[in-house]
Amino acid sequence: MTDAAVMPDESPALAVDRLRIELRSGRRPVPLVHDVSFTLRRGERLALVGESGSGKTITALALMRLLRDPLALAGGSISLGGDTELTRMNEKELARIRGGRVAMIYQDPLTALNPVLRIGHQLVEAIRLHAPLSKAAARTRAIELLGQVGLSEPASRIDAYPHEFSGGMRQRVMIAMALSGDPEVLIADEPTTALDVTTQARILALLDDLVSERGISVLLITHDLGIAAGFCDRVHVMYAGRIVERSDVFSIYANPLHPYSEALLDAVCRLDIDLSHEIPAIPGYPPAPTALPPGCVFNPRCGSRQPVCQMDAPPDVLVGERMAACHFAAERERPVDATPIEVGPR
Amino acid sequence: MSDAVVTTAAAEERRLSVRLPRRTGAIVAGSLLAVIVLACIFAPLLTSYAPNAIDPSIAFQSPSWAHLFGTDELGRDLFSRVLYGGRITLGAAVGATALSLVLGVAWGFGAALGVPLMDEVLMRTADVAMAIPQILFGLVFIAAFGTDLVNLIVVVGICLSPTSGRLVRSVVLAEREADYVRAAVAFGATRWSIAAKEIFPNTTAHLGVLAAINMANAVLLEASFSFVGLGVQPPRASWGTILQQGYLYIYQAFYYVLFPALAIVVTMLLLNIVARSLQSAPGGRG
Repeated sequence: MTDAAVMPDESPALAVDRLRIELRSGRRPVPLVHDVSFTLRRGERLALVGESGSGKTITALALMRLLRDPLALAGGSISLGGDTELTRMNEKELARIRGGRVAMIYQDPLTALNPVLRIGHQLVEAIRLHAPLSKAAARTRAIELLGQVGLSEPASRIDAYPHEFSGGMRQRVMIAMALSGDPEVLIADEPTTALDVTTQARILALLDDLVSERGISVLLITHDLGIAAGFCDRVHVMYAGRIVERSDVFSIYANPLHPYSEALLDAVCRLDIDLSHEIPAIPGYPPAPTALPPGCVFNPRCGSRQPVCQMDAPPDVLVGERMAACHFAAERERPVDATPIEVGPR
Repeated sequence: MSDAVVTTAAAEERRLSVRLPRRTGAIVAGSLLAVIVLACIFAPLLTSYAPNAIDPSIAFQSPSWAHLFGTDELGRDLFSRVLYGGRITLGAAVGATALSLVLGVAWGFGAALGVPLMDEVLMRTADVAMAIPQILFGLVFIAAFGTDLVNLIVVVGICLSPTSGRLVRSVVLAEREADYVRAAVAFGATRWSIAAKEIFPNTTAHLGVLAAINMANAVLLEASFSFVGLGVQPPRASWGTILQQGYLYIYQAFYYVLFPALAIVVTMLLLNIVARSLQSAPGGRG
């Protein structure tokens, strides 16, 4: 993050430094996200992977300063494009950034669209928030965008209501809305979770094309390692409000450094496994943020737990380009085959 | 091509069927209400008597074909007075309802979307306003500003606005949590533009129900105020003033109070049925 200032062209699209999020409802605040730092390079696709409750979604919301009571940003910095500090902005300034330089796609495209307004009306509103266009010009642009997201006959569909669209079509509309402000950074929060598998693949392929064409950096929030593998360049694994492993997409699948990443990968249902064995699940549940275990937060569920894990919280161990918050990260490293299995975009 | 046409037609049909209450009760109630309103509007076509034409020779006549609702102590035709009176009563009720909705929307949106202090102030004001008896408030207001049709509309509208404000606030609070509102924030829309462009269109179903209920209450309030002499002044007729005058002769001529009272009761009943069915219609919520 410091080298960003030296070379403005190489400044990251989004740099998050020691982000802390608290739940402020009881007598004392409960920290939910602990010093999360990551960097989204320009044109890069980064996946934040984790179970429910790992803090990935609130991290995404915090990036756009969308946290609402009782959740609050307790510290850290969010730097956009190396020049804009989001944590110090007021609502008015944020409104210009939201949907403009940073856009977001939601998990459920049905509820994210206003049920009583026509698709075109909503899209036109979104366009006009960030571009000084007349209604007619914005409508033309809306039809163009709907065509680009693969909606057939956009000119006649633009006046439909959300309930007349299928889930996939609605998500296409949401993508069109997200792209309408020409964002630098796109935050996609479980964009395909509400869709069936075939539609999922189509939406991801579409997103893939659209962001490469425009050079948009993408932060993908997902619990699905398969999607992360197919779509992203790097993967960050979150557990109990911390980033426990940072890795490129190839290495993490071949040689997960953190036992949690390994357990997550083992729990993925794959077609090439021996079906006579049960698919291994991770025992136990993620810890409650009010009752974090001493030492390493993952230790109660860890298969390779050692005495030290129950005593000391592990440091962020750097292994080459990768990082894992595990005492034994260095020992766990194995040389990764130079030609890894094909995990390109599906 | 034809497929697309069919699809649009089907969608259109779906859209309409969602909006229209299907139950026959609602349709009957709505039609009867329309008959009452139209009868008041086209009163001159339905009766040959002027509402204020005095003819002492025919005072206190029971209902007959010549005088459907009978005549009053001055020989005025009560059918004609009820019809013309309905113009005033219903007109005032429409005006008061409109005012109560405007005030209620401002009140509710302000409370739901403003800063917490604003919510607190507005809602406590509503509590206090609701604790004041409406007749007492009307008495003070009319004493200060005088008896006048416009004042009557204003006072009834104000009386109905605290409850409207509360209801609007609860609807807005519920809609505010909807994902489309969060999405709108994420697209950079500001608070009040979201209120106007995103939330308001989603409250119209509730406002329709509220309008029908307020209208029913406005008819009753107008009658109450006129009955105690705060409303329309004689010789102008409204349902409340006819009731007030007829009340003096209740033992001589029961029909004198019967018909204006029926007009009030039936109108309120029909409005409540309409409100009820709007509420339970597939498109309506709440």
